[in-house]
Amino acid sequence: MRIFENINFPFVKYRKTAYLFSGTLILLSIVSLMTRGLELGIDFTGGMEFVVSGASAPGATAVREALTPVLGSEPEVKTFGEGDLLIRVAAEGEIAEVQQRIVETIRQRFPGTQPEILQTDVVGPRFAEDLKQAALYSVLGAILVIFVYILIRFEWRFGLGAVVALFHDILITLGLFSFLHGWLPFSLAIDQTIIAAFLTIAGYSVNDTVIVFDRIREYTTIFKTTPFEEVVNRSINATLSRTIITSGSTLLVVLVLFIFGGEVLRGFTFALLVGIGIGTYSSIFVASPVVIELKRARQQRLAVAR
Amino acid sequence: MKRNGFKIGITLALLLLCGYYLYPTVRYALLQRKINQMPPEERARFVEANYGTIQNLREKSLKLGLDLQGGMHVALEVRVDALLRALATDVDETFEEVLAAAREQARRGDVSIIDAFVAEFERRDPNARLSRYFRNPDAGITRRSSNEEVAAYLRKQADEAVNRAISIVRDRVDRYGVTEPSIQKQGTRRIVVELPGVDDPERVRRLLRGTARLEFRLMAEPQLLAASLQEIIAFYEPDTTAQPATATADTARTADTSLASLLGEQTQATRPQNPLLAVLQPVGQGVVFGVVAGPDTAQVNRLLGRPEVRALLPPGITLLYTANPVGTDAQGRPVYYLLGVRQEVELTGEAITDARVDFDELNRPQVSMTMNSEGARIWARLTGANVGKHIAIVLDNVVYSYPVVNERIPSGRSSITGLASQKEAQDIVTVLKSGALPAPVDIVEERTVGPSLGEASIRAGLRSTLIGLLLVALFMIFYYRTAGMIADLALVLNLIFILGILAAFKATLTLPGIAGIVLTIGMAIDANVLIFERMREELATGKTFRAALDLGYSKALSAIFDGNITTFFTGVILYSFGIGPIQGFAVTLMAGIAASLFSALVITRIVFDYLVLERKLMVSVG
Repeated sequence: MRIFENINFPFVKYRKTAYLFSGTLILLSIVSLMTRGLELGIDFTGGMEFVVSGASAPGATAVREALTPVLGSEPEVKTFGEGDLLIRVAAEGEIAEVQQRIVETIRQRFPGTQPEILQTDVVGPRFAEDLKQAALYSVLGAILVIFVYILIRFEWRFGLGAVVALFHDILITLGLFSFLHGWLPFSLAIDQTIIAAFLTIAGYSVNDTVIVFDRIREYTTIFKTTPFEEVVNRSINATLSRTIITSGSTLLVVLVLFIFGGEVLRGFTFALLVGIGIGTYSSIFVASPVVIELKRARQQRLAVAR
Repeated sequence: MKRNGFKIGITLALLLLCGYYLYPTVRYALLQRKINQMPPEERARFVEANYGTIQNLREKSLKLGLDLQGGMHVALEVRVDALLRALATDVDETFEEVLAAAREQARRGDVSIIDAFVAEFERRDPNARLSRYFRNPDAGITRRSSNEEVAAYLRKQADEAVNRAISIVRDRVDRYGVTEPSIQKQGTRRIVVELPGVDDPERVRRLLRGTARLEFRLMAEPQLLAASLQEIIAFYEPDTTAQPATATADTARTADTSLASLLGEQTQATRPQNPLLAVLQPVGQGVVFGVVAGPDTAQVNRLLGRPEVRALLPPGITLLYTANPVGTDAQGRPVYYLLGVRQEVELTGEAITDARVDFDELNRPQVSMTMNSEGARIWARLTGANVGKHIAIVLDNVVYSYPVVNERIPSGRSSITGLASQKEAQDIVTVLKSGALPAPVDIVEERTVGPSLGEASIRAGLRSTLIGLLLVALFMIFYYRTAGMIADLALVLNLIFILGILAAFKATLTLPGIAGIVLTIGMAIDANVLIFERMREELATGKTFRAALDLGYSKALSAIFDGNITTFFTGVILYSFGIGPIQGFAVTLMAGIAASLFSALVITRIVFDYLVLERKLMVSVG
């Protein structure tokens, strides 16, 4: 079977439309990030988080209201998977005591429930600060390494193109996380796993982009007289089949993970689903066009100089 | 076949190696299954009989992360501020102020508390010498030591404290009895403890955190204590002239508590308007200052901690809680005594040479201790001079028991009574035998996963892996026909390689790690897709199959290489900055890339060469 065989879609011609599309998405993402912000997980804020089973019958809102006076501050209560509750407490204190207060309060206020703590995560404020820093360093480090590698293997315009596409992908995924948090039935809190997902997206986005760049590099030496735009378009079309199939199979397994991988991985796989989708789009419509614009700018500068 | 002899040899060797590393894992899994199917009595007998084999297999098999098998991950941080105070030979008000400021700076910013302490001290008085606090001729710190010398000495002490704390924590964990615990130093100040399959987290917390500072102290004079109790109540008494007397109405209500008999007449007059009496039932008899319910201790500490209130206590006396509740109040909350104890420490746990769990005549658990000769001498003098008085046995700032001395004890024997359970007695023996921590430690991170949740995660992970593998494999056959089947073979071998690499490097499989494997399944076919697509292109230009095969592999190589190496770098970075589960993800990602490159570039090529060159077959690429 074949799809996208001998296709010749004028991707480069439509790049202005793509700029508009991407520009709008990025703008919306920035607006959402600035107004709604991101939901940070306890990895980065510090605090306590408990997964409690056998206590979801009264509903998250009722449990929150019951716990607020006991804990001294309003906890965050969400349904977690099937029949569990995720309770997040900002306060510091003795872990066992907070646990006991939660379990006792639920048991007394809602007869018939049998609350049991399945999972406990406690992160101290100083430790959260360290995790934040490690996350920041790893993201910056990854971007730097990727840029340097592409700089070595390709010329700088390609490096910049890849990094622009990478920022594009991560920004839009972050934007979506910011826009959707609170609306979806699972947590979109940014924690360490989500950072790992973002770095994976970065790796994947660059991988996808590099395959196209590799073809452009090959075709520029073969079709020396063809205008650069045409070479880029041909390269995108030649690799299109691979781009779609690989993204398709990766998205497929990520979707399987999203559905069957359990509640713990849901945010992580959601990030990958969105990121890989956007990454595929950007390797076609963003990375290579950026290289074209950079080349054009140079030609114009040369023309002006002459 | 000959031309590929080397490649085939390598592949077989790698497969054998993976088999060697994975064999214990498979056997262990099968054994576990067999054990789980047995009826309980037979199971116990079987486990008993094959304990060595099971233990051996478990050690050699692929390790599961705490998120998969359940357990506890705790990061401890040594309290350097407390260490500084402990090291100081002379503490004054300036010292406390500077220490508080340093603690605050260290909490907010990224400075070590020692640096902050030194900087703050020098900022206050550039000419002052730190040596006046930390004079210690044994360590070469004299009055003339420069501030840099003192700072270096403090840093060295802090490093040593962390290392000592690690060995003490390790000793305690070993005595607690956990299979395969892991204790590691993280950074300069932190200790990471991983305990698989722990079922009582609170017990572990107490065990890890206790400094195990055992002290024998004298207690307050009853009359002086009772007098200062009245003064403190009076201190918090609001302007009574404005209040109507409602006391009588309340008298009957508190009578139903089990402690009612202990409470003096004045305590019945609960005046809700007195903030102290709202949380403290005053007693003032013997060495008991008052009764406090567990949840109220923080409020009581706040009220009694005010300097002007502390000044009302008899000189040299401090108030400590009992370790275990002495009863419950009307609402069923556990209540504790607040006792008046002398600040001066007569004898410490360093004198203890042996400790063991024992039972008294009523079969209640207690800890019996033996002292060295120096300790026994002091103990004999102490008990001899205080017949008829209480002596408090204080462990980590709570009073376990405060027996009345009946007679002089010359033998150096003593015991801790008033324990809640035999487990508690056992834990006290553990901490006493492991020795005291040089400084208290804080739990800065804790992640506990129950075993049922871990099991659910394993099942979800396995199911996702299988479904993902199946879907991708079917798609490849559907799209690339025979070539797809070859790629599928590579995919399966790829999975074996990944697990083999994880087992060989003793990496830990975590839930994000499984996600990494599933992700790799999706991405692993990328290399083959690139090659097959290239072959199709070459075939379309009219080349022979053999030429298309060669070109497909050679021309796709640079793209495959450039594409994968960036993802590999990302994995390296994730590994260096991440912790625990994230590192597990990074490891599988890197292993996956290495394995998929090998299987896509080498293994599929061997199969293609065999089919095309040896068997002269046309292979369909769809």
